[in-house]
Amino acid sequence: MNKSISASKSVETATEQLGRRNFFKKTAAYSVSALAAASVIAPVKVKAEDDPAIMEEQPWAVKWGQPVTYNLYGQPSAYESNVTRRTTELLSSGNMRASIAVTPLQDLSGIITPNGLFFNRHHGGTPDIDPNEHRLMIHGLVEKPLVLTMDQLKRYPNVSRIHFIECPANGGPEWRNPQFPSVQFAKGFMSCAEWTGVYIKDILKDLGLKPDAKWMLAEGGDSSHMGRTVPIDKVLDDAMIVWGQNGEALRPEQGYPIRLLVPGWEGNLCVKWLARLEFASEPYYCKEETAKYTALRKDGKAIQHFYANEVNSVITSPCPEKPWTDLKKGDTVEIEGLAWSGMGTIEGVDISLDGGKNWVEASLKGLVLNRAWTRFSFIHKYDGKPLFLSSRARDDAGYVQPSVKQERDAVGVEGVYHRNGWCSHMGN
Amino acid sequence: MFKSYHKLISVAAMLTLTSVSAIAASDASRTYENGKKVIDGGMIYPVKNGQTAGYYLNTQKAYKDIKFGRPATANEMKAWDIDVMYDGTGLPEGKGSVEEGDEIYEAKCASCHFDFGAGGSGYPALQQGNAYEMQKTLMLQRLKPDDDGPHRNFGSYWPYASTLFWYIKTGMPHPAPMTLTNDETYALVAYIISINEIKIDGEELDDDFVLSKDNFLKIVMPNKDGFVPKIEGKDGLENTRKFYDNPKNFGGNKERCMKDCFKGEPKVARIQGVGISEYAPPLSSKKEKPAKKEGATGGNEAKTTYDASCAVCHATDAMGAPAVGDKKAWVSVLKKGIDKVYENGIKGINGMPPKGGTALDDAKFKAVVDYMIKASK
Repeated sequence: MNKSISASKSVETATEQLGRRNFFKKTAAYSVSALAAASVIAPVKVKAEDDPAIMEEQPWAVKWGQPVTYNLYGQPSAYESNVTRRTTELLSSGNMRASIAVTPLQDLSGIITPNGLFFNRHHGGTPDIDPNEHRLMIHGLVEKPLVLTMDQLKRYPNVSRIHFIECPANGGPEWRNPQFPSVQFAKGFMSCAEWTGVYIKDILKDLGLKPDAKWMLAEGGDSSHMGRTVPIDKVLDDAMIVWGQNGEALRPEQGYPIRLLVPGWEGNLCVKWLARLEFASEPYYCKEETAKYTALRKDGKAIQHFYANEVNSVITSPCPEKPWTDLKKGDTVEIEGLAWSGMGTIEGVDISLDGGKNWVEASLKGLVLNRAWTRFSFIHKYDGKPLFLSSRARDDAGYVQPSVKQERDAVGVEGVYHRNGWCSHMGN
Repeated sequence: MFKSYHKLISVAAMLTLTSVSAIAASDASRTYENGKKVIDGGMIYPVKNGQTAGYYLNTQKAYKDIKFGRPATANEMKAWDIDVMYDGTGLPEGKGSVEEGDEIYEAKCASCHFDFGAGGSGYPALQQGNAYEMQKTLMLQRLKPDDDGPHRNFGSYWPYASTLFWYIKTGMPHPAPMTLTNDETYALVAYIISINEIKIDGEELDDDFVLSKDNFLKIVMPNKDGFVPKIEGKDGLENTRKFYDNPKNFGGNKERCMKDCFKGEPKVARIQGVGISEYAPPLSSKKEKPAKKEGATGGNEAKTTYDASCAVCHATDAMGAPAVGDKKAWVSVLKKGIDKVYENGIKGINGMPPKGGTALDDAKFKAVVDYMIKASK
């Protein structure tokens, strides 16, 4: 078909539609009966093999949708109502004010988590902060202690970076045994977004950091006043104060108006509702650096200041929420998942179909970025038999996910945090 | 001869070019600009050719002239400098005894942490017995379902008591933080030290023991040396750097086996019973519109507040509060008259903090009380 023919055809179509529109306009009062008449006018004998979704006019195809003034802040389709964060009593204390709601990994695509589905952990509830009354103070071992309004902070040149944030307790309830028949709960203590903000090192250029400043306290302005200590090395490398999340302001659950971003490290270090940065020559021993966010080893010593979330991966399709029950023997299908490392960039992912005895290399797909979720893919011909699926990622720092056995042999089963042993699940 | 020599040269040139671009693409490093090794065992991506880790950067020199904001005042810094460090920096003036702490604990803490800091209902235990004995449990591993595990609480696990002071002062009581005085905080720390049977100067604490800024650093926690790497002192950063440079310290793995990685069949660990499956909301992958909520009246603010802030104590009588729905209990409460009920709630009574720890104004608080009374008729 050449261009001129196709153009003239579309003109014809437009004329036809105009005619129809005029027809309905004139007969508006009778439009319902007119529609009914239309199918009577051209009756088709519907056979069992014909899909009613095609053969019958759908209600949304024969009447107006919503005007552009509807939902001026867009919402997902109402049919996506089951795609939500979820929580469970086991992970809560403080009457859901010191708790976590986790991300539905089974429903995500790509490497960006929509803001409404980003996992949410807090220690005193989500505050309702007026950005006009919120301040950031930078003090301690600096020559020029500073106070910034949010508008002033945003005057600094910004950078945007795609990074995951992962709670180091991701997978933690399963050190001793599998617990969750769900990928959302087994691995959903994490999400990935594009963050916009300023490198702390850029603000410090004018403040005169003193030579004995070795540690930075970051403290939130919410009711938990949660703090964490960050070593100066990371502050001067890539730590950021961020206000943007996937192109819009941070959500309240993510620290509105600002949070700390410590790429790749424990999510708990990415202090939300950030109000204060103080530099000191000694670490602070914050509340979340004691019984929580330390990893007890089998020798009775606990790792404190356990920074980077180590290389990790999870198969998201198939998963307990979305099993392959609709597949037939002989179907060729994609096994898909997410890999990430807080120590750098994903180099590759291996897949095992037999519980980790033999491995083959999967493909990476899409963007492969430093300290960001990375998608992997493996095309598999399904023979209808149960599979024992595992994925195992490796990063450019040279680390490979250990097996659960290797990890338990090395550190025991009581660490709670930083569990990254590759896990298998049965798929059938 | 000449030809093949020429060919060899061009191949060599191509190889050089290839390796240059390979270096440019992979700019990862294990060393900071100052020559020190990375602190976390990972990779960093120094700026090369205006890029870091694939992201372009603005590298104009004028960047260093950017400055906004204003100097923090001395009073502002004092007002916000609420941390208390392990060496005592930040400890305020004040004092409190074990006995005073006991009273404050009963009034403001026991409703969540239960008697003697026993914990429960998702609220952490503040002691689980003699701290020195409990510290020994940190060696335990629950390899079988009935094994005893490690007890990690303040007394047995935390390295410094400064953290407890800081946390109580700025984070407790959980629904109403920043409401305790320095004296009350010293008293509560003294009480919690005493119920953990932690000794100071070799002695367990009497009821009249008074804790203050002056004797605070005499508290030596049983698990003070239980943490690695050692981060205190002048070598703190270097100790940390060394620690994460050695994968053995934290269970890092660098092996990548591809074939016949173990003998026999894989060992299968199964979820016990149905596992944890009480999720809110329940799991579903159905594409469906949300179910209409039963009895949704829309905008019942009092009920929302009750559910969020009051139900924790009033849902049952376990905390000694009149349970919502318990007709008898509320008839008895109301004998005092509705005004007295409002007043008690607003001022706080028994274990209940003022307005239940909420920040509601009087009118809204009364509406919640009305809702609770109505729901108990």
